[in-house]
Amino acid sequence: MLNVHQIALGYNGTPLIQDLTFALNQGEVCAVIGHNGSGKSTLMRTLLGIQPPLVGKIEWQDVAHDGQPRNIAYLGQSADLDHQFPMRVKDAVAMGAWKGLGFWTGIDQTKADRIDYALTRTGLTDMANKPLYACSSGQMQRCFFARAIVQDSPILLLDEPFSTIDQTTQSRLVEIIKEWRQEGRGVMIVLHDLSAVMGIADTCLLLGDGRASFGQAEDIITIDNLIAHHYLSETQAEWLTLLQQKGVQNV
Amino acid sequence: MFEWLEYDFMQRALVATSVLSVSIAPVGAFLVLRRLSLAGEAMAHAIVPGIVIAFVIFGLSAVSMITGGLIAGILVALGTSMLARRTLIREDASLASLYLIALALGIFILSAAGSAIPLKSFLFGSALGIGDDTLILIGVTATITLLTFAVMLRPLIAATFDPIFYESQSHRPGLVQQWFMFVLVLNLLAAFKSLGTLMAVGLMILPATAARYWVSTITSYMFLTLIFAILSCWIGLILSFYLSQVPTGPAIVLVAGGFFFFSLFFAPLGIIWGRAVQK
Repeated sequence: MLNVHQIALGYNGTPLIQDLTFALNQGEVCAVIGHNGSGKSTLMRTLLGIQPPLVGKIEWQDVAHDGQPRNIAYLGQSADLDHQFPMRVKDAVAMGAWKGLGFWTGIDQTKADRIDYALTRTGLTDMANKPLYACSSGQMQRCFFARAIVQDSPILLLDEPFSTIDQTTQSRLVEIIKEWRQEGRGVMIVLHDLSAVMGIADTCLLLGDGRASFGQAEDIITIDNLIAHHYLSETQAEWLTLLQQKGVQNV
Repeated sequence: MFEWLEYDFMQRALVATSVLSVSIAPVGAFLVLRRLSLAGEAMAHAIVPGIVIAFVIFGLSAVSMITGGLIAGILVALGTSMLARRTLIREDASLASLYLIALALGIFILSAAGSAIPLKSFLFGSALGIGDDTLILIGVTATITLLTFAVMLRPLIAATFDPIFYESQSHRPGLVQQWFMFVLVLNLLAAFKSLGTLMAVGLMILPATAARYWVSTITSYMFLTLIFAILSCWIGLILSFYLSQVPTGPAIVLVAGGFFFFSLFFAPLGIIWGRAVQK
């Protein structure tokens, strides 16, 4: 679905990451991890076509005339959005059906059914007519997942979708991501929580120190790798190793 | 009771400000939602030197004043962006510095050129002295604005609510932002004659902020903003008619301010009930 070969990302000609190579296949979840400022969000913006790579080219399988994929779903960090925006929950979800609509065209029955399905799947049916400001952080994030369901895209990019929600909501949303994988969609997801990475990711892209490592999640998430990419400091790594030696699991 | 309607200048003012409200209300609604209220205020002042220079050179020509205003607005916007990127002062300070210089420059040129327009009228407007050219300008502006919203409402909502989502869905995401800024400047120019450079943005922002306290859907928000804007103009005009010392611009904006405070205290999302409702 997506092949990236030796690209460089950055701003104003200054590279943030170099020699970035990875792939995303159908029915695969790829976790993107890295320390703050390592280029995770820049990578997302580049994949969305908002910011071109400094070097190299991104190859999508099914592209429109501008070289971007025809249909790509994006779910950003909800903390950045105006939670007081005058809009009902179902209107925010319906935004996922807006692409390709003419200026005067309404939402057809197929799309309306998909909106209803998305609200049901995310448990928001009772909230559908409520204003956005009535949503908790978790409900807000479910609302954006519902919008992504409505987009019905083969590729989904999720930027820190679990950053503002509790464990119960996270488990619920993880089930939706697993469902997307079963449906053959490709998902790239920026995460901070390594246990979440090991729980849902097939592959992992580790960014940091100006470079990237890509591979199967269990091969990438190693203490040596995490130190090399400045994701963990050596002190944190020693502490983790000590705990593991003492038999503490799931640190 | 309605003797004020018998005067031709009042009928003109009523028509002009009503059409202006229809045009300016949706722009104000999105200016507030896009958190650009202060930028709108700054832009209202930034266009002044362009209008003044055009007026001094070409006289009361709507086309030249629009062109001058647009050029001045674009120069201030570009200058602000350049200063914020290349020097240590941030965007707000850059914008404030440049619009204050622009406003002062405009007033300076107007006074130095010995303009036929009194300074008070320039700053606060004279809705009761609206001519045919201003009526046409307001009509054309309203038509362009309504067409813009008819065509761009969905993209504008998406770009305002979730800019990165919108950019991911659009092939030319910058177009909405740029066209909205053009429509903003056009409306400021249309409001310039009736409300003056200091008050023009008041009719844009105050009805929109007042309406935010009442409603929670975008269509009802835009509609209520329009109602507040029209009522502010009508009541303000009548006040200005009976209190002949009061310029129309401040009268209209003060009534809009009255709606703002009424909404703040009595609306369901205002200061008293708002917190309870939102929890």
